[in-house]
Amino acid sequence: MSDRAPTAAVRLAAWRGPLVWLALLLALAFGMPTLEPVLRGIESDTRQVVYAQAGLPSLLANHLLVVGVASLLAVALGVGAAVLVTRPAGRDFLPLVAQFASMGQTFPPVAVLALAVPVLGFGTWPIIVALLLYGLLPIVRNTLAGLEGIDPGVQEAARGMGMGGAQRLWQVELPLAAPVILAGIRTSVTVNIATAALGATVGASNLGAPIISGIVNGNTAYVLQGAVLIGLLALTVDSAFARLTPARG
Amino acid sequence: MIELLGVTKRFGEETAVDAISLTVEKGELCALVGTSGCGKSTTLRMINRLIEHDGGEIHIDGQPIREFDGRLLRRRIGYAIQSTGLFPHWTVARNIGLVPRLLKWPKARVRARVEELMALLGLPVEQFADKYPEQLSGGQAQRVGVARALAADPDILLMDEPFGALDPITRETLQVELRELQARLHKTIVFVTHDMDEALALADRLAVMRAGRIVQQGTPLALLREPADDFVASLLGGDERGLKEAAITRVGERMLPLSPRLLPQARVHRDATLRQALSVMFREHADRLAVVDDEAMAVGELSLRRLVGAGRDE
Repeated sequence: MSDRAPTAAVRLAAWRGPLVWLALLLALAFGMPTLEPVLRGIESDTRQVVYAQAGLPSLLANHLLVVGVASLLAVALGVGAAVLVTRPAGRDFLPLVAQFASMGQTFPPVAVLALAVPVLGFGTWPIIVALLLYGLLPIVRNTLAGLEGIDPGVQEAARGMGMGGAQRLWQVELPLAAPVILAGIRTSVTVNIATAALGATVGASNLGAPIISGIVNGNTAYVLQGAVLIGLLALTVDSAFARLTPARG
Repeated sequence: MIELLGVTKRFGEETAVDAISLTVEKGELCALVGTSGCGKSTTLRMINRLIEHDGGEIHIDGQPIREFDGRLLRRRIGYAIQSTGLFPHWTVARNIGLVPRLLKWPKARVRARVEELMALLGLPVEQFADKYPEQLSGGQAQRVGVARALAADPDILLMDEPFGALDPITRETLQVELRELQARLHKTIVFVTHDMDEALALADRLAVMRAGRIVQQGTPLALLREPADDFVASLLGGDERGLKEAAITRVGERMLPLSPRLLPQARVHRDATLRQALSVMFREHADRLAVVDDEAMAVGELSLRRLVGAGRDE
């Protein structure tokens, strides 16, 4: 709590990590063609070395959109479900949801995707549903842990002072559980950025497309482009979350 | 005034509180004492409806508490607990101002009240207002807890072992402060503790609980002199009961006025307890003490016979 009124410059400096990753990500997405000689060195005997089926920036945008939509839905559903089952009215469902959350973690995302396609068909929707389902679990689990981990004395005092249920939730429980909930969202989003690439196997056009295409055509340069951009995107988002999650200790 | 009339609480098959009746007069500090699991905390928490009673009636100022909305009732009743329950993400000032804000007091009035309470509890505003609970010592945190309980100036204060987790020295300091505070504020206080010395030092009235029932209630002196049964006697300290009584009686109440006799060297303050006087006698190998006031002026004398109450005239 030492930096009570940080200046704009200080605040910006704190975001240096995420900003560096973001700059690198954008530079590579937009400037990949200029790296053609380097890529040529990796994959000399192929005619095409820069993935051009669709522009990398548009693949990046699609990738972000899919992960963003899935994550927003996962946060809304996951936090909502965990909050509901920790209210007196929903207590009965707590064991069920807690078990579902821990069990679901053992389920590989590829399997979720494989199961989603027959139901939802090819394209963007099955991957959103798969990411939503997979991303739900760390969020539910962490929200439950965060809410259940609040000092019982604090809960008792909040009730004893005459706070209502909604006041306790918004003013006490969610702020105190926030670091743990954010950590869950961070895990969920970061994992989903990588997992979203699998969407390319079911026809979604995102950063997974160059990887799949590269594997199919034996073009290592394609695989590299997709993988590096996904990695940078994950690093950007993860380091941004690291800034948002206050260090506790 | 708080009245409990045949109040019962069951948890499943188990009867936690069994048809107890208790009246706490306005301005009185009533201590509920007993071994753990005797139902004293449950009783306390039924008064602000954190736990609903199953049978009997609880009245506050003549009105059954079931007629109030639970939340509104709790905003009218101060509540302090052993773990303090301060919100770790709020500053001291914000914690103290919680109930006034719930009652929608104007901002300026909340701030003024918070500053008033911090001064009352010996927490300098400029030093503590912006601190977070984790930056406080145990005693300071408990002072903030008491300030928060008093924030909306409730008539009634419920305290659940508020000093139970503190070291003995801090605990005693806070007990003295609470006694001084109570002398000024005259709240109606129900105080749960398992520390008999604390109960004897603070309470106007004691209610001894065992297995969900009140086995005896009365003033500390009455209980010490005539415990209802062996359980109460042993809870009150068994053979040490005499010393406990000595510990709540002041030298000033037993001393004799100055006599023409030569005053002894050993001295004791008028406001010291008989127990302390006895200790001085023991240490100084003296059977007479000079009693002095704040300016160290002799105001009387106390003999061992007089101290133990054997001789009225000497």
